[in-house]
Amino acid sequence: MTTSQAAPTAVKILIAGGFGVGKTTLVGAVSEVAPLRTEELLTQASVGVDDLAGVGQKDTTTVALDFGRITVSPELVVYLFGTPGQERFWFMWNDLVNGALGGVVIADTRRLETSFASIDFYESRDIPFVVAINCFHGHNTRTADEIRAALDLDPHVPLLVGDVRQRPFGRDVLLALVDHLMSLPVAAG
Amino acid sequence: MTAHWPYHEDEFEDGEDGAGTMVRPYTITHGRTAPERDDLTLITVLTTADDPRDAHGAAVRPGRLQPEHRLILERCRRPAAVAEVSAGLDLPVSVTKILLADLVASGLLIARAPLSVARASGGARMSVLAAVRDGLRRL
Repeated sequence: MTTSQAAPTAVKILIAGGFGVGKTTLVGAVSEVAPLRTEELLTQASVGVDDLAGVGQKDTTTVALDFGRITVSPELVVYLFGTPGQERFWFMWNDLVNGALGGVVIADTRRLETSFASIDFYESRDIPFVVAINCFHGHNTRTADEIRAALDLDPHVPLLVGDVRQRPFGRDVLLALVDHLMSLPVAAG
Repeated sequence: MTAHWPYHEDEFEDGEDGAGTMVRPYTITHGRTAPERDDLTLITVLTTADDPRDAHGAAVRPGRLQPEHRLILERCRRPAAVAEVSAGLDLPVSVTKILLADLVASGLLIARAPLSVARASGGARMSVLAAVRDGLRRL
């Protein structure tokens, strides 16, 4: 192979939620490749500091994230990043969150509290998001209104209920996010 | 840490330290902990240059590259994002960026920045969103 293909540009969408709620499952359901795993070395000292020389191994945390891709056109690829389960790492990992198109919060009605931190995170970073209630464990006894109230969601934040293992649901969640992004007013300045 | 590259003594100028198959992450970068350029992101797309030229227009010939550099050039014949290269090499993102920056600096690799999606960018942003929407509908 002697010729390189023209390079597409990329955008990213973040997939957040508590541990084991189905982040990688959703990525895998819609990605054109099996989810890939990468990792980053994070240290407290690395926040805003480039030079890690002299930082001992014990001060370094390895954080893994799973991601997938959707080629939407020859010129554009969407990367989906499942964020690390512990939200405190996100604040240390600016590259993960900077420039994100938007986000998804996956929640489980049996333990909605595990998604509070994800919602807080998006709100604090001004990243538009949608909420996907994952029902792959079976029954969901709560209405969408009850879930909205429990999560203290703004009325304009889309909320969908379904099974994140199913590609059509994953697609609908992402489409809801894109529609939501298109409905937002363009920020001044 | 997960396993990294087997140590090849002849690839390193200082072949004295560390002789195991597990190496500290920044050994591969000869101790450098920051890339030559700071604009590489997780989704910066990299493509191996067809006909690399230096600033004076002379053909660039890959010189003393490490095995990791060669693997990157092989991988990026098909465009790949930093995160994908990192996953493929099984190296942390920060280490991968240092190696990628070496190759970009030498003209062997071409980096394409992500699209700006700031809400302020208006019309361009809407066309990106429309393209994403159309692509998702085909899933």
